[in-house]
Amino acid sequence: MKAIRVSHIGGPEVLELVELAVPQPKPAEALVKVSVAGVNSIDSQFRDGRLRTPLPFIPGHEGTGVVTALGPQVKGVNIGDRVAWSGTLGSYADYVAASEEHLVPVPANISDEQAVAAMVHGLTAHYLVNDAHKLKGDETALVHAAGGGVGLLLVQMARAVGARVIGTASSDEKAQLAREAGADEVIVFTRTDFESEVTRLTGGKGVDVVYDGVGKATFEKNLNVMRRRGMLVIYGMSSGAVPPVDPAKLSEKGSLYMARTTLAHFTATRDELLARTSALFAMIAEGKLKLQIARKYSLADAVQAHRDMDARKFAGKLLLVP
Amino acid sequence: MKSRILRRVAESKFPMKAIQVKQPGGPEALELVELPVPEPKASEAVVKLAASGVNFIDVYQREGRYKVPLPFVLGQEGAGVITAVGTEVKSLKKGDRVAWTGVLGGYAEYAAVPADRLVAIPAGVTDSQAAAAMLQGMTAHYLCHDTYPLKRGETALVHAAAGGVGLLLVQMAHDIGARVLATVSTEEKAKLAREAGADEIIFYTKSDFEAETKRLTNGQGVHVVYDSVGKTTFEKGLNVLRPRGFMVLFGGSSGAVPPFDLIALSQKGSLYVTRPTLGHYIATREELMARSSAVFGMITSGKLKLRIEHTYALGEAQQAHRDLEGRKTTGKLLLMP
Repeated sequence: MKAIRVSHIGGPEVLELVELAVPQPKPAEALVKVSVAGVNSIDSQFRDGRLRTPLPFIPGHEGTGVVTALGPQVKGVNIGDRVAWSGTLGSYADYVAASEEHLVPVPANISDEQAVAAMVHGLTAHYLVNDAHKLKGDETALVHAAGGGVGLLLVQMARAVGARVIGTASSDEKAQLAREAGADEVIVFTRTDFESEVTRLTGGKGVDVVYDGVGKATFEKNLNVMRRRGMLVIYGMSSGAVPPVDPAKLSEKGSLYMARTTLAHFTATRDELLARTSALFAMIAEGKLKLQIARKYSLADAVQAHRDMDARKFAGKLLLVP
Repeated sequence: MKSRILRRVAESKFPMKAIQVKQPGGPEALELVELPVPEPKASEAVVKLAASGVNFIDVYQREGRYKVPLPFVLGQEGAGVITAVGTEVKSLKKGDRVAWTGVLGGYAEYAAVPADRLVAIPAGVTDSQAAAAMLQGMTAHYLCHDTYPLKRGETALVHAAAGGVGLLLVQMAHDIGARVLATVSTEEKAKLAREAGADEIIFYTKSDFEAETKRLTNGQGVHVVYDSVGKTTFEKGLNVLRPRGFMVLFGGSSGAVPPFDLIALSQKGSLYVTRPTLGHYIATREELMARSSAVFGMITSGKLKLRIEHTYALGEAQQAHRDLEGRKTTGKLLLMP
């Protein structure tokens, strides 16, 4: 089969198209023919060594496809089932062997592309709005990178619960997408200081919650734009790691809360994963969640896909089609 | 008991006794002085103190660790009777029994307090109980009802469970129906924590609280850690939280927690950290009223037992501080001006 392999860490050019044997499913795994694989920033982080995994490896954590073979212990899926997954390394390939517990059934009214877009980005947006901080209709949320992959979904879900959404975006183009997704206000942070603007937009009160996937670049100012007892949820650090935090700052700035979350802790049980994906698929089917597919690439163009992602060239989801 | 004549004298702007700090320092920095009875500003009431609470924040302010412009009269909470009100005060009148916290000047016979910080003391609550409950009682209340709203069936780890806030927090958590794991240093304190409703006692001096908490929760960890100890307990506290658990750091009796890496929070299970202070939980008049009523209600219904360990005359303030700092006390210390 064709697959992308990383033999040593580095830039996009280390993504190498190779021919490999189709993997054999282990007892609790299913073999899936990949229809679409998602491209995520975590893939860049494994590629360039910010995150570690033994070399060589096939990148890619999420995808959709059809089950073609089963390990002897697999009970929950059958050959021919359409499934989606996240958290399984090896998805940049014609076939992947995935642990049964990572696979979720894809309903007939959801396309392969929609299903992939609902996985890492959709699940992340869902846990942020519903669990990391359960957003309420009378609250105001600040969503950083509101024109990004998670951001666009987060804005829609926050609007769906009735909250007021203030987004930040790096360009007018992304700001426009964030507005179309339902953001009440969008701050182009490259032009306007988001701290003073959020303070102004909230009448000096501050926001109830900040959803931040940016990290280092936004951290200090985030502490100044929250209301008393407000919540800062950091779910990513695209601008770099936040330096160590003095807890005294949290009390000085208003008895603030801070969390550093990852998706795995919000899909830890099979029940939780299925409940979250079902909720997402239902929103998509009802037209409540619009997915922004920015671009599709063939497997051979994985290098270009990573270049585009690293350059933040497109707003929305990037996909590989094996 | 003061005579009516003496009270009239005091009200007519004759001197009152007060404890003043002129220079930061040890307990000897507490000086018994005579000062004029304060006059209420337009939005203030003057209260004749019956009881005034002694708290660790008083020690920090006395030492200069927390800065206060010098000289100043110490004391962050009290209870007594209103003797005069400012021109704009409508909701309170002379003779009302009231209590407060968060306003400096309680170590005195009289204090001028903003009227919007005063709460009426209900009939079933004594002045001493009111003074003892304002800071620690409302702290325990916000911790388990708002900072992390504890639910029946959840498990909480309470550090320094026999301390001032600790004993109240254990009672409230128990009342909610949560399982309470309590850390204490001695058998005597363990007994108090058990009486307050702690389900499990961990002697942190004899056993490792991290290992013990994991054992007592079958490796699952607790939903919330309430930590007023700080430096010596924070790191291990993160290790005993279940995924998505809350670290509520509300004090630092062992020292300040140094800056920590956020990676620890994601690696240890998408954890939450907060560092609350009482002021942010009684910031509005409505919140102050609701919280103080809830605490007074628990006192009158017998659900919350206050442990008033010792009362001192105003002139014994130095001894009160020595006793508090010696950490031999397990209950509330009050000055009775």
